[in-house]
Amino acid sequence: MSRLAGGIGPRLERSHMYRKSAAVGAAVALAMLLAAAMPATVLGASAISGAPAPVHTITVSVWQAALIAIGYYLANSPFLFGLAFFTLYRPLVAGFLVGLILGDPAQGTLIGAAINVPYLGFISAGGNLPADASLAGWIGTTVALASGLDPTKAVAIAFGLGLLGTIIFYGRMAVDSVFAHWADARAEKADIAGVAFMNVVPGQAFLFVVSFVPVFWLALNGPTAVQDALNALPVWTVNGLVIAGGVLPAIGIALNMRFIFRGSAIPYFFIGYILMTATHNSISLVVVAALGLALAYLHLSFVRRDAPVPAEAAAEAAAAQAASAPPGTAPIASPSLGIRLTRGDLVKSWALWTFFAHANYNYERLQGTGFAHAMTPIIRRLYTTEDEIRAALKRHLVFFNTEPNFGNVVHGTVIAMEEQRANGAAIDDDAINSVKSGLMGPMAGIGDTLSQSTITPILLALGIGIAGGKATGTAVPTLSGATGNPLGAIIYVALVSVVIVAIGYTAWMQGYSRGRAFVTDVLRSGAIDRVLIGAGVMGNMVLGALAASFVVVNLAPTVTIAGAQMNLQAAVLDPLFPGALALGLVIMTWWLLRRRVNPLALLIVYLVVSIVAAYPFFGPDHTTSSDPAAQYQVCTSSLLHPYYACGAPPAPQAPPAPSAQP
Amino acid sequence: MSFRLVRIDDRLIHGQVVAGWLRALGAKRIVIVDDATARDEFLREVLMLAAPQGVPVEVHGVAEGAARCLELASSPEPVIVLARSPRTILGLRQAGVPIEVVDLGGMGAGPGRRRLHKTISVSPEELGELRELEKMGTRVEIQIVADDRPIPFRSLDSNP
Repeated sequence: MSRLAGGIGPRLERSHMYRKSAAVGAAVALAMLLAAAMPATVLGASAISGAPAPVHTITVSVWQAALIAIGYYLANSPFLFGLAFFTLYRPLVAGFLVGLILGDPAQGTLIGAAINVPYLGFISAGGNLPADASLAGWIGTTVALASGLDPTKAVAIAFGLGLLGTIIFYGRMAVDSVFAHWADARAEKADIAGVAFMNVVPGQAFLFVVSFVPVFWLALNGPTAVQDALNALPVWTVNGLVIAGGVLPAIGIALNMRFIFRGSAIPYFFIGYILMTATHNSISLVVVAALGLALAYLHLSFVRRDAPVPAEAAAEAAAAQAASAPPGTAPIASPSLGIRLTRGDLVKSWALWTFFAHANYNYERLQGTGFAHAMTPIIRRLYTTEDEIRAALKRHLVFFNTEPNFGNVVHGTVIAMEEQRANGAAIDDDAINSVKSGLMGPMAGIGDTLSQSTITPILLALGIGIAGGKATGTAVPTLSGATGNPLGAIIYVALVSVVIVAIGYTAWMQGYSRGRAFVTDVLRSGAIDRVLIGAGVMGNMVLGALAASFVVVNLAPTVTIAGAQMNLQAAVLDPLFPGALALGLVIMTWWLLRRRVNPLALLIVYLVVSIVAAYPFFGPDHTTSSDPAAQYQVCTSSLLHPYYACGAPPAPQAPPAPSAQP
Repeated sequence: MSFRLVRIDDRLIHGQVVAGWLRALGAKRIVIVDDATARDEFLREVLMLAAPQGVPVEVHGVAEGAARCLELASSPEPVIVLARSPRTILGLRQAGVPIEVVDLGGMGAGPGRRRLHKTISVSPEELGELRELEKMGTRVEIQIVADDRPIPFRSLDSNP
């Protein structure tokens, strides 16, 4: 990551203003290096301090809090090749990095993974943000790690933080509108570098302040505040939080199911779920994903043999194409052009967009200033008079919003049109505007479906599974005793970065060289539908498997059968169908969301039900006794019991049943 | 009444509509009414191909769209109607298309446009057209995504 940030320099050496952003980039790179170097010492220190106690707490130092606050800022900044939203923003990755900073990357990754599950179906489109997953990840992990909290307790606390974080996002969306007007003023003076400056510096300075200050404060004071609050609460309510940690993931999984749990892909969800429970969670999610890939191929070859493009639409489209302009209208750079763009101009423009598309995201123009910033290398090459430059800058400072990767086809097409216009072709502002405003919507529709609701959640589910899906070898999964695997975060970052950048670069270059023809060819070929269907098969498998690992509902009460006291869950339900209740909860949540129940309302209801269900209706509140019989009684005194198995009733002389404290 | 959603949105079909509304409402058809888009063969084709598989998209001008909407209004098929401006909806309404609620989903800012709410801005003419729609008995609401609570236009319009 530091390598990427450091790489900003040479690419942006054109102007004074750019040098400023390069300086910010260098500072960021330095911070990343510090972040990477710091944990080595911390790790060493914690190794000396001996084996971790069941609850070991960490005091967050000022430097660590500052690094966490910088990390949170970076997760929302454009400086990581525009990939922050797909990487540092996600609690899985945030958890790993907070773990590095605080000296326990494995536990950090595990906590981040648990916090991430409710955000699996997370989508932000058109300036709308349901929750700030990044605050949940960065501060949620800090609090949990520093207080020695069980990952499942962190889930409920982190979700509250996620709602709080939307204040920062919406504040920024409102304030950044002002900077768009500052950019207008620079455009009026035909100041290309000024427009670029206004897209990056004021908005990022503001964002840094509003991110760093609250997160720094929360990282320093949050752990103690949460510990104090938890200590003040009766034990059963804390158990309730743990139960909620097993229930809330159902919402994230069901939100994601809204996109892929459809039609002939539905059975694959159950295959994934049953595969996990039947093997007692002893297989890795990578195995499930590989199996999913194979099944996706079979599904596409044998189940979905129908034409991927609806016949009606395809026929209409073909007719429309025949009736309209000849294929030559696609803006293809012809050799007769006097002023030509170089490949370097195109790459520079693409890189500027990839970095800074959302640098000044605001309600008024959304990505408008980002679009103008990306066009600066093109404008420099194509236009020389002040009037032309002013007109071009103003033309591209208007409202714009698309998905910033697949949607790059719009930019490529527009650049080709600008090139032709500069060479005297009769292309007026209206022609360019209509391509921008007409294409940005549909391309965002396809792009968001591809990147945000298909590729990201599937890869995240895979990463989370690797991070937290340690084989427990028991029918009832438990996160309490699991060790996190930082590889889950690392593999996710590598995969998602490659896929997202590849889509963005291809769309940009193809949009330039083939323009409209590329758009219609891709859409007509049905390739996107095939990808979505195949991804849907694999996604359902992985999601099903993930539900089996992260959604936990355990009945606490006992029944007396033939004079023997038996736990309803362990003795009656699990032998029939392990995890049946959790599966039922997931399907019910999906059904409720389809009935348009508000996910936030559902979340609050689930939280309240979890806490109420932890109330000791049938016995004592709690005991600190190490006597297995007493512990068993605690375990069976409520409606639902926390994330560990109650085990069997202790026989008089038998060794104590496994009953880890939450 | 088969219109699950009648929405005014600059960008017509995009992420919020495809990934959000379409799934949330279980709509089976999208009807786009916009004169300029209907004239542009390329955009028509892109819009037709941009919706998810199995959801046919129709693009009509206002006159043709009104006839089509009247036809669909009495069919049981769940339909989403998209337009880019209040004038189009007013045109449909004047042609007798029954529209109970119109949703403002995306109306970009620009010179001479006043911001009503987040990503919703209106020109003075559009403001007049929205008031006209309310007078005709069509409720105007702002609801950007399906999970939002709808905000009545009336509560944001200071001097109707």
